[in-house]
Amino acid sequence: MTSRLDGPLKVTGRATYGADNNFPGMAHGYVVLSTIAHGEIEAMDVTAAKSAPGVLAVYSPFDPLALRAPTSSLLGETWVPMQDRNVAYYGQPIGFVVAETYEQARDAAMLVEVSYRALPALTSLRDGLATAEDAPPAMDGSPPSLSVLADGVESIEDALAASPVVVEATYATAGQNHAAMEPHSAVAVWDSGVLTVYSGTQGADLQAADVASALREEPASVHSVNPFVGGAFGGKGKTSIPTFLAAAAARALDRPVKTALSREQVFTATANRPATVQAISLGAERNGTLNAIRHDSWSATPMDRSFVEPTSHGTSREWYSTRNLAISQKMVPLNIPPTTFMRAPGEAPGSFALESAIDELAVALDLDPIELRQRNNSAAPPGRDLQWSSKHLDECFRVGAARFGWSERTPQGRTDGDWLVGLGTATAMFPAMRFPATVGITLHDDDTAEVATSGADPGTGLLTVLSLVGGESLDIAPEKVTPRLGDSSFPAGGMSGGSTATASAGSAIMVAAPRVIDDLLALASSPGAPFEGAEVSYADGRVLGGGASMTFGEVLHAVGRPSITATGSSAAGEEMTKHSFSSFGAQFCEVRVHRWTREVRVSRMLGVFDAGRIINAQAARSQIMGGMIWGVSAALHEGLETEANGRTANGDLASYLVPVNADIPDVDVHFVEHPDTLHNDLGARGLGEIGTVGMAAAVANAVHNATGIRVRHIPIMIEDLLPE
Amino acid sequence: MRQFELSAPETVDDALASPGAFLAGGTTLVDLMKLDVMTPHRVLDINALPLRGIDTQDGLRIGALERMSDVAAHPGIYPVISRALLQSASQQLRNMASIGGNLLQRTRCSYFRDVAMPCNKREPGSGCSAITGANRMHAVLGTSDACVATHASDLAVALIALDAQVRLVGSDGTRTVALADFYRLPGATPEVENDLRPGELVAEVVVPRLDWAAHSTYVKVRDRQSYEFALCSAAVALDVRDGRVVDARVAVGGVASVPWRLRTVEAALRGSPATQASFEAAAEAAAEGARPLSDNAFKVSLMKRTVVRALLELTEGSRA
Repeated sequence: MTSRLDGPLKVTGRATYGADNNFPGMAHGYVVLSTIAHGEIEAMDVTAAKSAPGVLAVYSPFDPLALRAPTSSLLGETWVPMQDRNVAYYGQPIGFVVAETYEQARDAAMLVEVSYRALPALTSLRDGLATAEDAPPAMDGSPPSLSVLADGVESIEDALAASPVVVEATYATAGQNHAAMEPHSAVAVWDSGVLTVYSGTQGADLQAADVASALREEPASVHSVNPFVGGAFGGKGKTSIPTFLAAAAARALDRPVKTALSREQVFTATANRPATVQAISLGAERNGTLNAIRHDSWSATPMDRSFVEPTSHGTSREWYSTRNLAISQKMVPLNIPPTTFMRAPGEAPGSFALESAIDELAVALDLDPIELRQRNNSAAPPGRDLQWSSKHLDECFRVGAARFGWSERTPQGRTDGDWLVGLGTATAMFPAMRFPATVGITLHDDDTAEVATSGADPGTGLLTVLSLVGGESLDIAPEKVTPRLGDSSFPAGGMSGGSTATASAGSAIMVAAPRVIDDLLALASSPGAPFEGAEVSYADGRVLGGGASMTFGEVLHAVGRPSITATGSSAAGEEMTKHSFSSFGAQFCEVRVHRWTREVRVSRMLGVFDAGRIINAQAARSQIMGGMIWGVSAALHEGLETEANGRTANGDLASYLVPVNADIPDVDVHFVEHPDTLHNDLGARGLGEIGTVGMAAAVANAVHNATGIRVRHIPIMIEDLLPE
Repeated sequence: MRQFELSAPETVDDALASPGAFLAGGTTLVDLMKLDVMTPHRVLDINALPLRGIDTQDGLRIGALERMSDVAAHPGIYPVISRALLQSASQQLRNMASIGGNLLQRTRCSYFRDVAMPCNKREPGSGCSAITGANRMHAVLGTSDACVATHASDLAVALIALDAQVRLVGSDGTRTVALADFYRLPGATPEVENDLRPGELVAEVVVPRLDWAAHSTYVKVRDRQSYEFALCSAAVALDVRDGRVVDARVAVGGVASVPWRLRTVEAALRGSPATQASFEAAAEAAAEGARPLSDNAFKVSLMKRTVVRALLELTEGSRA
């Protein structure tokens, strides 16, 4: 079968994304953004904009679209624009122009004159460190600061002081924008009192609920459709500004409305990964055994304090065996665009700091970095009784070291002509979770089946997983299974996030499939049915009984039922009280740094991962490759720059760099497959996000190996490596 | 993008007769029109004009409408030119962008491209945001208190090194100007970037014959391996005989307000041995007069290193 069912549609341009939908009479909206970072809007002169050609309406805080901020249990409150005159960041949506064409709306938007009463803006994370606040509790409810101390140890300071070898350093990571290929966009259409919103999101039912709440409409009257999502990465978890505005304007104007952010607007009118600063102290015995880990983290956060990047909770809390551990998380409220989840929130920037520090410790101990990691391998998170359900990190390092030729590494790197060559490695971990998900399975009388859940496939491959797991659970070929996703009228699939979709939806399929088969068998043996009174069983898509067999389609035909449907649900359950769950990996990379001009080129990469059972090998490999490449991007290219006045200095794809093909060598991905049925019956753990974890540290560690220069911030730039 | 009137003159005379913005490949003009940075009322598509042809008989003559990719692939082109072209933009852009347009491309300064920000080049007298802003990519040579933007063309750096000229046509006739004189330092009038008069058109690039320019190269240092502008680049050509430099051409890009010829470095190289030590000594003069900004002091050192690297690659062969 096709390794990725939606692949042909996507590469031939036939996949219909949200903004690809067009309707008769459709108007176009353009969002107006603030050009100060903090203050109040005193006036907005919209006279010229209103009289510009084609303009239908100009909305502002003085003449707003009525919107209410919706709240979800998973993501908290979502801000909606124009409900007051406050400006909290540069590039904040403050107005909305609707016109007959996109160009007319954009031209009119440029005619809007805004008067501000500007207030001093706080925009520098460094400057704000001194006045940082404690972060709210982590997502699992743990407090911002916590420690695990061995018996008789008074404090982490004592534990560090008693350690024969100590390394201490402070690391910094830049903010990042998701920069999905599909900009945040929506088409909203009202028809007979029902609103249909076509918009890429990570959860169709969640978006429908958000829009209904924001517009104070009944949930049943909002229908959200997103069969294809052009990248999300956490940035389309919350419902986006264009979706709210298009929906409200379509209601106000009684016309379909399309709205898409420009690429430049995506950088401020959505939400970003916050920048972080992290101080780490590691105390070890001379043989490398960790005695103490201290990891203090600061995250930038917008003034509404809506999201904090949990770097120490996401890494040092769980990664190594240590007798003493102390972590803390603080936040620095700034006049910056909103922050939110981005792939491996916490783990990605956290692992840059922790895995750099581990490499620094290996250097201090004159120990091989892999050996140091293996010496401190944990059977359970520090201070917890629940052991890892299935951990094969050692095997990842062993297999990876052999595959990558790690034994040829020397502590000083090597040279090849004018290039300084170094190897680096790092651990990757990402928690294995399940979110609540419901899946409906329908058997049709033509011997096909349908597996449907509202959810979303933002490029992760969930659509294909539905047909693969559906086929397996129904004991039929996956080609016979039609997967259906991205429509809020389907059973609630929840959110495609947290690397949970395969485990969540897959487990729900494994609940729904036996149910629909039971219903089929009851139907087949019911009075008047072909197997009336017989002892029936099911195999290979057929009902068996009394020495005869029929396909399920034949049975349905015989009883005059075109189809039967059953649903199944799954969520994190009892397993969480028995074990700790995580996926694991070992990252390797080789870099070449030019002797004269100091540019860094990644010349080889390998990731070896333990993510339980792999459902779709090709899609899994693609996910991991994408993550590893993103890790290189974070290490060498990507980083939001905020100016003193709060303006994003590099808010477009010309100056916000991501790697191009020439930057990325062949990427080797390998899986050690150990199905984890303690986590779920499918045996699969998440692998969407783990690919990026550790990669930036592996690059930085390789740069150190090549040059002897330790760069403690990302992205690493040429000037960081230029000798005086 | 504002509304504009588009016409497509078929002769140079017709093109010169009607004022408007000339459109060749469109890779600068259309980009800046979408950003509202350039708002011409009339756009003249000049692609039908007979400003084509690549002649390598005696030096080079390149029609202004030749595409970057075609010039780069032409067999008679000096290596420094083809390498500068091939390290510019992306293949798709090189297929569209013209040689004349490349020389006239506007700066990549992000404040120039953002109409919400002051910029003396876009709006004279409004101020320079880059001097106190994010200026890592900006110039350290040839700058003024009014503007610190770099010139973005790689091709122009190679051409300056080769003493190239541009042939200009206007309603008053044709004139030929050395490229080194064509570009203007920003001074107090950064909006004036070159010697082009209103209505005048770049017709042709002329490169005088220089046989030893067969021994030339272009090194471009940037934040990623392709599709990115230079932090620093060096165009070099060397005439080496018996281990000594007889003559040299050196120019740098990405570091100056205009493509920057390094005549003092050339002078230091002339007569010296073709060794790393003498290259390093000569390159010391590269950053003479540099005025680094808050974020780009590293360009002073990078410039010298880029020149040394280019000279070494030319004398030792590529060691990539």
